[in-house]
Amino acid sequence: MTKLLQWLTVLFLFLAVWLGLVTNHIPVVFSDAAKEVVYFLPIYLLMAFACYSLAVIGYRVTTFNDCVQAADELKQEIKEAKKDLTRKGFVFT
Amino acid sequence: MATSSDQTVGYGMVIFAGMLFTYYTVWVIILPFVDEDHLLHAYFLDRIYAIAIPVIAGSLVLTGLVAYIGMIQMRSHKPKIKTT
Repeated sequence: MTKLLQWLTVLFLFLAVWLGLVTNHIPVVFSDAAKEVVYFLPIYLLMAFACYSLAVIGYRVTTFNDCVQAADELKQEIKEAKKDLTRKGFVFT
Repeated sequence: MATSSDQTVGYGMVIFAGMLFTYYTVWVIILPFVDEDHLLHAYFLDRIYAIAIPVIAGSLVLTGLVAYIGMIQMRSHKPKIKTT
């Protein structure tokens, strides 16, 4: 099961239950205030997801890091490759 | 490393997201349970805007994104000069 399929399953389950509640196919009695909240649930979840995404992007921007070791390794490898190529007769311009 | 301006922007985004989430939660989840004439109601718009603003903002962002991607695609599909 891929991650996408998991999310889609949860989404459709939620939507099925929500539609059932809204169309009174699932007989649960809510107070007027609770009914208001139930009606707003999908868009509220969307907003929550949007806020979460924004927070994650912000956090990743804050903690973005350099890969010093990897950079050194790469430089070393470039140097070796150059040496090797020169030995084989390649002329760098 | 993330520069200090990156960090400011990042923290700003996290804080903004948190505040938005808190405000929206109070607006949508808590406000229906508060009495109609309570002072808290003065700080929130009518309930219809709790749907209208996200939907309009979302459509605007989506339109902008699609237009941007479309522009990039068109630019990168220009007929290339053959070099061989």
